[in-house]
Amino acid sequence: MAERSATAAPRADPEAELLRVGRALHEALPRPSRNPIEAVDRRAMELAAQDDRLRAALFRLVDVTPACRSLDDLAAHLASYLGEVERRPPPLETALRLSGSRAGRAALGAAAAAAVRHMAHRFIVGETPRGAMPTLRSLWVAGAAASVDLLGEATVTEAEADRYAERCADALDTLVEQSGRWPSRPVLERDSLGSLPRANLSVKVSALTPLLRPDAPELGRADAARRLRPLLRRARDAGAHVHIDMEAVDSLEATLSLVLELLDEEEFAEGPSAGLVLQAYLRESPRRLDQILEWAASSRRRPPLVVRLVKGAYWDHEVVEARQHGWPSPVFEVKAESDRNFEDLTRRLLDARPLLRVAIASHNLRSLSHAIAWNRVAGGRDEDLELQVLRGLGDHLMRALAAHGMRVRVYCPVGDLVAGMAYLVRRLLENTSNESFLYEQARGVPLEELLAPPG
Amino acid sequence: MRPFANEPTLELRRAPVREALLAARRELEPRLPLRVPVLVGEERGADSGLESTDPGAPSRVVAAGGVASAADVDAAVRAAAEAFPRWSGRSAAQRAEVLVRAAAWLRERRLEAAALEVRECAKPWPEADADVCEAIDFLEYHARQAVELERGPQLLQVPGERNMMRYAPRGVVAAISPWNFPIAIPAGMVSAALAAGNSVVLKPAEQSPGCALLLVTALRAGGVPPGAISLLPGYGEAGAALVRHPGVHVIAFTGSSTVGLELVRAAAETPADQPHVKRVVSEMGGKNCVIVDSDADLDDAVPGIVQSAFVYAGQKCSAAARVLAHEAVADALIERLAGAVRVLQVGRAESFATEVPPVIEREAQERIEGYARTAREEGEVIAEVGEVPEGGWFVPPRLVASLPPGSRVLREEIFGPLLAVERCASIDAALDAMTESPFALTGGLFSRNPATVAKVARRAPVGNLYVNRHITGAMVGRQPFGGNRRSGTGSKAGGPDYLLQFVEPRVVTENTMRHGLVVE
Ligand SMILES: Cc1cc2nc3c(=O)[nH]c(=O)nc-3n(C[C@H](O)[C@H](O)[C@H](O)COP(=O)(O)OP(=O)(O)OC[C@H]3O[C@@H](n4cnc5c(N)ncnc54)[C@H](O)[C@@H]3O)c2cc1C
Repeated sequence: MAERSATAAPRADPEAELLRVGRALHEALPRPSRNPIEAVDRRAMELAAQDDRLRAALFRLVDVTPACRSLDDLAAHLASYLGEVERRPPPLETALRLSGSRAGRAALGAAAAAAVRHMAHRFIVGETPRGAMPTLRSLWVAGAAASVDLLGEATVTEAEADRYAERCADALDTLVEQSGRWPSRPVLERDSLGSLPRANLSVKVSALTPLLRPDAPELGRADAARRLRPLLRRARDAGAHVHIDMEAVDSLEATLSLVLELLDEEEFAEGPSAGLVLQAYLRESPRRLDQILEWAASSRRRPPLVVRLVKGAYWDHEVVEARQHGWPSPVFEVKAESDRNFEDLTRRLLDARPLLRVAIASHNLRSLSHAIAWNRVAGGRDEDLELQVLRGLGDHLMRALAAHGMRVRVYCPVGDLVAGMAYLVRRLLENTSNESFLYEQARGVPLEELLAPPG
Repeated sequence: MRPFANEPTLELRRAPVREALLAARRELEPRLPLRVPVLVGEERGADSGLESTDPGAPSRVVAAGGVASAADVDAAVRAAAEAFPRWSGRSAAQRAEVLVRAAAWLRERRLEAAALEVRECAKPWPEADADVCEAIDFLEYHARQAVELERGPQLLQVPGERNMMRYAPRGVVAAISPWNFPIAIPAGMVSAALAAGNSVVLKPAEQSPGCALLLVTALRAGGVPPGAISLLPGYGEAGAALVRHPGVHVIAFTGSSTVGLELVRAAAETPADQPHVKRVVSEMGGKNCVIVDSDADLDDAVPGIVQSAFVYAGQKCSAAARVLAHEAVADALIERLAGAVRVLQVGRAESFATEVPPVIEREAQERIEGYARTAREEGEVIAEVGEVPEGGWFVPPRLVASLPPGSRVLREEIFGPLLAVERCASIDAALDAMTESPFALTGGLFSRNPATVAKVARRAPVGNLYVNRHITGAMVGRQPFGGNRRSGTGSKAGGPDYLLQFVEPRVVTENTMRHGLVVE
């Protein structure tokens, strides 16, 4: 166990500590800004959250934008989607009227394209890693580390898998080279176990192989391993961190066994720093944590595995897929169960240190405060807990956490508009879901309720 | 009865589920070859003369079947006619119970049934399992439909007159089934016929007698009287004799166009001693097109098309054969399709990794290779899986392009892992290409414009149009399945009106006035 800090003496009541942390973070959140663009954003999200059809129209527009051949084409699509919305707010009524003429369509198409680009910029930090560096640097200077995620189209061919692997290699090089010039930020670079790489790349297994198949996990695992191994070597030699994201449950078996087996290979015994993701919305997640802990206990690898705990980003997909097949749902179907499980897993992860390093990824003030409070109550040090947020969704939290002296890492997608659409739609979906914490917060639910135990 | 719900397929993404299937396969091994007798009523006839073999290892015999003789055919039709009055005399609810019991019997043996399909027809596990589920679905669904149908439609009633309409079973149904859905397709035809009150003589494809026996065993175990379901394993002659038999009322067929049209002709002959006109329910081939619009999401389109064209080596009447790509996306689409074809996993059906198993038999292999040669001569082969395993009827998956419009590769059903891509200047041009074809079974569209979706849905003549997804894998009750034009007689298996194919409507009008008094 990490050496206990003298300043954070064990406190009896974790809920009380949680409230204290939650309030403090809340205090540090910037007030809703009067920036007109943000106001329009907020208004659009509100409208979308209130009307399912409008939300569908908005998402379909965002989704199709990069595939449209011209502004005229884009406007025609928009009109087609709006045609399916029953109660159209006045601005959309106007939009639909505009689409009746060629000139109107040009204006409408331009406005829609600009809006989508604007939204994309909120979530995506640049088209290329090099292009993203200024943003990453200013995040660092402001007290937040990053993990870069390379957006891309689905991988269905060998060539696409190879190209993704090359992009990852280039990104590692760029990150290592550029981040070396950043000023020192001790909070972001050390924990009680040692130093933490500045360069941090998140990698998706589904992009590393076209052969990922739920019923034959060994096939995709073997093919992805061919491409992941060189990346791990590069990261090891350059001193970068590689984090393997977790995707839909269809690829869980392949992803988990890929990571655990590769990291156990002799040549990776001393590095690189690497991590994987545990999804708390999965009913099987406690067992998966058992598996990870068993592995960590028996592995001779030196750098502790970093486990990023998330709730899970594919909830709708998993539920629909299970329904269509008549399978039991692999995910909890009540939000509070995911939240509660997230807290249980948080505690188990914190207790498992120093076998593991722990990163808690969420935009839920309760979930984050719980991790911070529990760590302190159990006598842990703040530096042995990392918090993570997504670019575009967790920007305010990031500032509050940094101000609170915590190590916070921002997940930063990089890529062009075409590649970024699937990601963008998922984030918008999350942002407008009636059950999401961010939506409740934006709706003005009182802080006490937001910080109450799930259930 | 509980409302119908599709039988869930196995969750093959779970390792223990895969283990269970492998265990079922190990248990099946020592029982092979199965003996498949001619089953005519209570009689067991010959059980040799016909062999089904493993397409991945053709020297291994999976089932040894009898060959039904002309006398067997005649006896089976007579037994069916004899069983008819009692079977049709039961209420729909009673017959439904029998079918539901047969479904339960099959459900209990679903792993074994899937293992048998893997061996006898080289269906990869997910496909084999889905076929067993579909068979169970047909039994359960048609059972419920029969109960529904028995209520009869409502007619106008006026004072002094009582009008009733009901649907009576036709009599003896000859079911002639293919090997590619070796349990589900015969189960669909047979269960519909039985549920409606007919008795049935089943002549399965010579390639899959073992699977057919499993189905008949399930039905008999569920309580279908032996005379009401006979099994005639054999070759084409047995089928030909069966459809010509004057005692047959309905012919339900799924198979090739050649045989299907031949059968329509044969059924039209109405000899003087045949007191009825035969009805034909025929599902024939397809040459199924997938249209890809300029705004399509290729991340979805590529896997969807590849799955539609190559899973089970393209041996589905619903499989995709032609891609009609809008020229704005054609280059990107073709490049990605080519790459996706190159990574297809060709192998034995029993390997979970396999997507493209061997084709059913040597003639199929030769036929498909013939089309591939034509494609190479007339156009180009853009992608091809380089190496395929030895020993079975393997055919490499291929993507071809640049074919002249009249090419037989674009016009004829190939029934194998060969997909052609064509460029189209517009959606209208693509629709023209689709509607020029005499086939109209399935079709696909990838587009994100609701207006385009509506237009294609209106103009495409196909029986089943799939939008933004793969075009195979119709589910009972969700995608009633069947083709139009030369693809079929327009019926929809697994749909709300399929049973109507197996019944004749009867109307009774009774005068209820006596001396000015209405005596109802
Ligand atoms: C840095 C970072 C990295 C991430 N990496 C990954 C990753 O690799 N893989 C991945 O899958 N996700 C990842 N995510 C996304 C994450 O899983 C969540 O989707 C997202 O953070 C929202 O959860 P929350 O705790 O912030 O918000 P909350 O609003 O508290 O929770 C929303 C989440 O609750 C769950 N949920 C919603 N409705 C229900 C319901 N009815 N029943 C049960 N559960 C429900 C869903 O998981 C949903 O995303 C990452 C997030 C961050 C911040």
